[in-house]
Amino acid sequence: MSELEVSVPNFEPIEPAVVPPAIPVPAVKLGRAIVITSGKGGVGKTTTTANLGAALAAMGKRVVLIDADVGLRNLDIVLGLENRVRFHLLDVIEGKAELDDALIRDKRNENLHLLAAAQAREKEDVDGAEMKGLVERLREKFEYVLIDSPAGIETGFRNAIVGAQHAIIVCTPEVSAVRDADRVVGLLPSDWSPELIVNRLRPALVRKGKMLSVEDVNAILRLPLLGVIPDEPGVIVATNRGEPLALDASSPIGAAYRSIAARLAGEPDEAPTATPRTGGLLSKLGALFGGAGNS
Amino acid sequence: MSARRIVITSGKGGVGKTTTTANLGAALALRGQKVVLVDTDIGLRNLDLVMGVEKRIVFDLVEVVEGRCQLRQALIRDKRFDSLRILAAAQTREKTAVSEEQMDKLIGDIANTADYVLIDCPAGIEHGFRNAVAGAREAIVVTTPEVSAIRDADRVVAKLRERDLPFQLIVNRIRPEMIKSGEMMSADDVAEILGADVIGVIPDDESVIDSTNRGEPLALDATQRLASIYAKIARRLEGDPVPLTDLEAPGFLTRMFSMWKQGAALS
Repeated sequence: MSELEVSVPNFEPIEPAVVPPAIPVPAVKLGRAIVITSGKGGVGKTTTTANLGAALAAMGKRVVLIDADVGLRNLDIVLGLENRVRFHLLDVIEGKAELDDALIRDKRNENLHLLAAAQAREKEDVDGAEMKGLVERLREKFEYVLIDSPAGIETGFRNAIVGAQHAIIVCTPEVSAVRDADRVVGLLPSDWSPELIVNRLRPALVRKGKMLSVEDVNAILRLPLLGVIPDEPGVIVATNRGEPLALDASSPIGAAYRSIAARLAGEPDEAPTATPRTGGLLSKLGALFGGAGNS
Repeated sequence: MSARRIVITSGKGGVGKTTTTANLGAALALRGQKVVLVDTDIGLRNLDLVMGVEKRIVFDLVEVVEGRCQLRQALIRDKRFDSLRILAAAQTREKTAVSEEQMDKLIGDIANTADYVLIDCPAGIEHGFRNAVAGAREAIVVTTPEVSAIRDADRVVAKLRERDLPFQLIVNRIRPEMIKSGEMMSADDVAEILGADVIGVIPDDESVIDSTNRGEPLALDATQRLASIYAKIARRLEGDPVPLTDLEAPGFLTRMFSMWKQGAALS
């Protein structure tokens, strides 16, 4: 059976997010809620969320980041805000804290805020409708609501996408990550048009035919390419220090995230760059995905 | 015959659970053990890719549980070893299609036909995690030397302790030069934070990516440095006290991260 036939008979269709109706009263312009998701874990969702948030805030946009990974939160660490978490998402949903009290302001940029996930709770504790309502409240206050999805396609994933109108798919150039990303795209509302970030690309390995190229990845996924992030050990150091690389003027990864943020905000500096196409590995992908890679 | 039932888990995704499952399975099979690898990541299976058997899947785990086929029909024999078999996860079903009781029974049935059952757990701590753990009697926790991975592993370790499941630690993707320069925690640092015994320390090696894409576990290629490391982990698992590979310099980040952990415990 072709892997592209992801008909998912038992998966409940996810309702498209409600678009605010055109009401006659002077309406508040709602912000954009974007979920960052991937299927596979460890491909860079949280790093991407933190860096895009930091880059958008540096452009003067009002941004809130939501960590939807209840029980396994990490966005607070990547932003260096782990000692400032007093209330979390479930506290707000359950009325134990006011939204404004739970929003943690970034140390470096007052445009950037974090709503942390509960660490000692379960993902099943979050009600989808309440999550959706929370995201709508945040859209009234912020221009960008970036939602960091947990790995997988279980309850946590569904709660992460329920309030969003747009998705960014993060994928690394590995067949396992591509397969999982393909599955996730099939689970998103059909009227969305998710955009792709290819993370952790090593051009030298691509040239040697030891890594899929961006074109190989996108021959399967066929998504608008939002950006390509090079692989660099600096990300590990940045995560441990809680300093997003987007704020580091000398980092190539930081530069890549800044240009993705500009593109997202409709202020592109240049088109995303890709790498030379290679032959060998593509045939493996093509076979795996029922020939889609050969076209 | 009743096999050891070991779940490979981590909390955080992308730290190397599937790679570890495949390579440890291959290393044990090389040593003559009868091994079954079980992919419990229903909906997002990948162990079949890493083992290179993706085109040979006829039946999956859910079909066995639902009685639509015999267990032996669903076990895919590895082309390289008769003693290594793989049970694939269903790709178009949900994790809730299988209960913890069903998983425990399934792994028990598999254990009657093998020496080792290695259970590849999905990322996270949701239903899929609970299922994977339900079938196991011991655990290997895989983590990388990053604060985020260690925090997630800490959550998983707590859940394993709640279930009285003994566990050991594999610290994956170590870069000795970064440890020396103080930019990365050492395996000792990680073990101290998690309060666990280390059964393996694996260096970061870019050939893993190529191996995954080709479906050939590195453990089978004697020219690869990771092959001998996985072989040693397999021997330690069998009870042979092989000393740990020295990839670590003394870590001076330990104090900083134990402070962090105290802070995290309060929240």
